[in-house]
Amino acid sequence: MGVELIYLDHAAATPLDERVFLAMQPYFTEQFYNPSSPYAPALQVRRDYDAAKHTIARAIGAKPDELVMTAGATESINLAFASIGGHVVTANIEHHAVLAAAREYDHTIVASDEHGRVQTSVIMAAVRPDTRLISIALANNELGTVQPLRDIASAVREERQKRLAAGNTTPIYLHSDASQGVGQLDVHVSRLGVDLLTVNAGKIYGPKQTAFLWAASGVMLKPQIVGGGQERGLRSGTENVASVVGFAKAIELAETHRKYESERLHKLRNLLQGQLVAALPSAVVSGHAKHRLAGHLHISFPGIDAERLVFALEARGVLVATGSACAANKGTRSHVLTAIGLSDSVADGSLRLTLGHLSTPENTARAGEIIIEEMQRERQRIGL
Amino acid sequence: MTKVYVGMSGGVDSSLTAALLKEQGYDVTGVYMKNWTQDLPGMKCPWADDLADAKRVAVQLGIDFKVYDFENEYKHKVVEYMIDEYKLGRTPNPDIMCNQEVKFKLFLEAALEDGADMIATGHYARVKDGVLLQAVDTNKDQTYFLYRVTGKALAKTLFPLGEYTKPTVRKMAEERGLFTAAKKDSQGICFVGKVGIREFLSQYVQQIPGEIIDKKSGKILGMHDGAIFYTLGQRHGLDIGGGLPYYVVGKDMAKNEVYVTTDLNDATLWKDDIRLASVHWINQAPQLGIYQIRIRHRAPLVSAALTYDGENVVLKLNDEQRAIASGQSVVIYDGEICLGGGIIV
Repeated sequence: MGVELIYLDHAAATPLDERVFLAMQPYFTEQFYNPSSPYAPALQVRRDYDAAKHTIARAIGAKPDELVMTAGATESINLAFASIGGHVVTANIEHHAVLAAAREYDHTIVASDEHGRVQTSVIMAAVRPDTRLISIALANNELGTVQPLRDIASAVREERQKRLAAGNTTPIYLHSDASQGVGQLDVHVSRLGVDLLTVNAGKIYGPKQTAFLWAASGVMLKPQIVGGGQERGLRSGTENVASVVGFAKAIELAETHRKYESERLHKLRNLLQGQLVAALPSAVVSGHAKHRLAGHLHISFPGIDAERLVFALEARGVLVATGSACAANKGTRSHVLTAIGLSDSVADGSLRLTLGHLSTPENTARAGEIIIEEMQRERQRIGL
Repeated sequence: MTKVYVGMSGGVDSSLTAALLKEQGYDVTGVYMKNWTQDLPGMKCPWADDLADAKRVAVQLGIDFKVYDFENEYKHKVVEYMIDEYKLGRTPNPDIMCNQEVKFKLFLEAALEDGADMIATGHYARVKDGVLLQAVDTNKDQTYFLYRVTGKALAKTLFPLGEYTKPTVRKMAEERGLFTAAKKDSQGICFVGKVGIREFLSQYVQQIPGEIIDKKSGKILGMHDGAIFYTLGQRHGLDIGGGLPYYVVGKDMAKNEVYVTTDLNDATLWKDDIRLASVHWINQAPQLGIYQIRIRHRAPLVSAALTYDGENVVLKLNDEQRAIASGQSVVIYDGEICLGGGIIV
């Protein structure tokens, strides 16, 4: 139809960076060898794979041997929960992958505040003497709200001291899925203070179905996929060399450009937010005003059916999400928006706009204009 | 302005229906009817995509859009009916039930309640003054599925597509740039989906092995996994192999036996008289006489003499017809008028 596409859904998926694609290509064709094979060319592939893991580990300040490569963040999360089990604590704004995994165990799900932020005291109040795992995402995928992870981590350390003093030998670990924050926030494990970390490549211009679970030394993982004993026996299956090499390149680039890119997106997002709120004063912006991902804008138009807006925008080349992509597809209201107390009429009018590499000042401003036009057209149609 | 609620399934036919009515100056609201679908791991349920497509087209047309949830009613009136009929050894038609019970009853009632003056669907059929007429595209005509709808309901119904052929409909949808213009037509029974009727039924009825018996010789040819899964005239899926193909000529539900033959001329396979029960007339009952009948969707019309036997209708055919299974519907026409019909006893 010749409409220029403006992509505003970087939190759902990102295009593969050309440099990542180039790095991956040889491993599909000439460097196809199984890293476990005994001859020299395969050995080279093994070295390249190990080097890629080394690069990834360095990006988060960890050792390569502490990483388990998986086929996506959902698998990493499942592996973390299955390994630690016991009583688990998480929050009501967490991703479905975490909530579903938590429901497999004895669990307590705590409430977030109205900005989608989980207070450390609320989490710690849910911790019992037999609690083994706390799982809180670094940043919320719908609202972009960044969680006080370091604060939670130090509370977990205190809890450990208390248990030690009380003679309680039950370990307690903090897991975080940082897939939504990586590339915009620091994901250095010692600075985050977590014990387990999930990150995927698909949101940082790397390949999909590619992630790792990092576990601090001393945290015992239980393999969920058994077989040939790859990944130190923790995740069997022939190594996905191309994807892991791509992940390494992607996380390297993300870390190199993180400061510049997050500042750029922060400015763009604020411009877009200002543009929309000025033209549509009844708009409600959700998520924490300060602790929010730079490229994230969650905005609701009360009384409007956001799904209609998505289709109207799609017809004009502007690709946006309603609430969260998963929830939208199932035709149900987002659990996150319910959790932060948005009324149905506000929640149903919510768009999630997430900026990234494809965003420029020009196309973002243009998208803003189109959103305003389509909003006004829809308002006129329903006589609002 | 006349308010019309259009049943929009997310397919090209109902999309164009809404577009045409809007162009004709009606105040159009699109409605997606959520019917019952199975939600099993490993089975992709297409309704969310269809709902999104229907809504996309509504947004494109700038019309209101609603979702009516008929899941429970649909399950009782259509799905359970179908399973029960199969259990009785009959071959029911769920699409006919869906039109009778859901689209032209529940949907009509709900739409009127919500302020509609009329409803419309993307069926290939025509209505004139509450009289149901065959579609101009005789190849696509869907009146077979509509014979159990009441004249009263039809008087409040619009079928704009009845005037066009399917290729024209696709072309018109393309010309209007409708999102669904190139979408593939749906196949088979909606809630059964791609798994097929056999797999669908086997979730609800126990598979009990029984004998497949040669009708002529009385010889046991093999075993089947439940007489319920077999229909008169059926050739495939018998698994007794070798030589000439076998056809199902009868079954005994009580004994769980299926009778087959290689003789295509077997008297059971061919009938020249049909007895119909559960007779429904769209308007008034026709007088005795010669009419045209259709024994399955898209089957050619054949002539038959209609007589009554109490509540039942007896049809005497000029030529014998093959595979007339009980439970199937026979629809009766007077020229282009669809009068009604009944279910083969």
